[in-house]
Amino acid sequence: MNTIENAKEIISSYKREDGKKLRIMEVCGTHTHEIFRLGIRKLLPESVELISGPGCPVCVTPIGFIDEACMLALEKGAEICTFGDLIRVPGTEMSLAGARSKGAVIKTVYSPLDAVSYAESHRDEQVVFLAVGFETTTPSACLAVEKAKKLGLENFSILGANKTMPNAYKALEGSADAFLYPGHVNAITGTAVCEELVKKGVSGVVTGFTAAELLTALAVTIELSQRGEPFFRNCYPRVVKPEGNPAAIKLMEKVMTPCDSEWRGLGIIPMSGMILRDEYADFDARKKFALPKITGKPNPACRCGDVLQGKCKPSDCKVFGKVCTPLHPIGACMVSNEGACSAYYQYGNL
Amino acid sequence: MTDKFVTLAHGAGGKQTSELIDRVFKEHFANPDLTADDAAVLSMEKGKIAFTTDGFIVSPYEFAGGNIGKLSICGTVNDLSCMGAKPLYLSCAFVIEEGFPMDKLEEIAAAMAKTAKEAGVEICAGDTKVAGKGQVDGVFITTTGIGRIMDNANTSGKLAKAGDAVIVSGDIGRHGCTILLARDEFGIEADVTSDCAPLWANVKAMFDVTNDIHVIRDATRGGVGTVLYEIAGQSGVGITLDAEKIPVADEVKGVCGMLGLEPLYLACEGRLVIFAPKDKAEDIVSALRKCKNSENAAVIGEVTEDNAGRVVMKTEIGSQTLLPQPGGELLPRIC
Repeated sequence: MNTIENAKEIISSYKREDGKKLRIMEVCGTHTHEIFRLGIRKLLPESVELISGPGCPVCVTPIGFIDEACMLALEKGAEICTFGDLIRVPGTEMSLAGARSKGAVIKTVYSPLDAVSYAESHRDEQVVFLAVGFETTTPSACLAVEKAKKLGLENFSILGANKTMPNAYKALEGSADAFLYPGHVNAITGTAVCEELVKKGVSGVVTGFTAAELLTALAVTIELSQRGEPFFRNCYPRVVKPEGNPAAIKLMEKVMTPCDSEWRGLGIIPMSGMILRDEYADFDARKKFALPKITGKPNPACRCGDVLQGKCKPSDCKVFGKVCTPLHPIGACMVSNEGACSAYYQYGNL
Repeated sequence: MTDKFVTLAHGAGGKQTSELIDRVFKEHFANPDLTADDAAVLSMEKGKIAFTTDGFIVSPYEFAGGNIGKLSICGTVNDLSCMGAKPLYLSCAFVIEEGFPMDKLEEIAAAMAKTAKEAGVEICAGDTKVAGKGQVDGVFITTTGIGRIMDNANTSGKLAKAGDAVIVSGDIGRHGCTILLARDEFGIEADVTSDCAPLWANVKAMFDVTNDIHVIRDATRGGVGTVLYEIAGQSGVGITLDAEKIPVADEVKGVCGMLGLEPLYLACEGRLVIFAPKDKAEDIVSALRKCKNSENAAVIGEVTEDNAGRVVMKTEIGSQTLLPQPGGELLPRIC
């Protein structure tokens, strides 16, 4: 029997006597998307519940961050370079797309280094890169800052909302019985963090992205959960090494330092963000443009926060699929392809 | 004429205009029906004609596997062919940006002539305008075409029926992928060429084996996925696709994987989606496989009574999911 069939057999035959469900949270947005694309949810028995967690960087970025970016673009005259996904995320008053229609310059880039090149060729403009993302993308933002420093670019800075996962797992404790850890993040951070979490009673498996890898991780989670004690397993060993990527970690530690960080829906999680070190303060857009403290106001009808914590399903939200759709999103989870609401909406209930 | 670039004078209607037309267009398009008068005078056989028009603004105007000239012929020829019409006559209107290189214009005209010849169609009327620098981007072309519908053909997006097989004429998404890479915005290099091709011979080959063909659609903007949703809606049927049977080149798969794109929504410019009764599918596919530009034709799914208006995917792990509806702008100016 091949891996996929074997894993499907383990998953579909899982039963529980106690009437409870095994709640598994996929933390990574790419996992959410792939699980829907492959139709994995349809294979699950009643006793297993999959919860889409807060692992899409766009989804956990707080509204105030969008407000800050709009202020930079409209009031401070900066040109914004950003990953495309952020452009349609609603802020308190408007999204970056809205700011663009009012004359702001918003440019899509595919890597932070593209933003540096843009700044290099537009020396008369102030260029701000919107640095969102987890340990997977933060090293490239650090690399961009290092490069800008080396080039002596005085017109480049970043508006940071970089986040780290370890303390988020602690904040999510109780939301799920086990986590499917995001393989790409662990490829950078290694597995020591997960080993530590086991000691604190948090279970999970590092998970890859192919059909075989996702199904294997689910089957392993189901099997290990029946032993009745916290567990950890690396089910993505071809990419994730115990030590992670030391060069990337070193770069992050050189350029940034941990800070408290606001997560949409989860509030402020202590030491779950990364901020530029004092030596790099010239590249911190908040300092450079003396931004005031901005607290965004989310649309009260939107339940993205509850969705991100697994407290409700997207379809439990009153605006889901009615006024909130991928073309007219109200919450961030409907914007990104990797957001839980967008996946529920697009793949529907077959 | 030795001008290296197109100038506003070339569009003014005087001597330079006729020189441009003589050197670039008449030179390449020469055929007995090409007119120097205000309109071409054509003879038509009795029967139904198909008539269509299409504008082309692709950026960049040259790409691996073709240029805007070839594209402008294929687009209109394929639209006619999908109605079971043999393409006969085309007109073409150019809007050229001041300063456009004359040698590039010649390359575009040469590609149009070559493609028209391959498709068996005559370019018999045209128009040239020059717009000031920055008022258009390079060159825009509009082609209009007339074809004679074969007596035995009756195709329409409304005619898909439960029990039909869904066929594609080749691997999907190459044109969209090629344009994406040609724009140099992603820093990705891959060996992909556009599927841009005229497909009348392929359509003819299908009708040579059976008249029982319900729908033929040219999968251009929006790709095969968009066509499938259109047909599901127009015909009020469901469509079930088998993910593993959809032909996608490895390079295209690789690029889509990196950028998070679905190949079913990448544009094609030389791919047909065909709906025909299941018992005719094998004959159609083998006829297509014998033709140039459809060697990889394959049955990718079937039409169902249930799930009307929806496209369902049988996934690689034997489960089912809905194919997400197309939406938003994937990539502007691909054709």
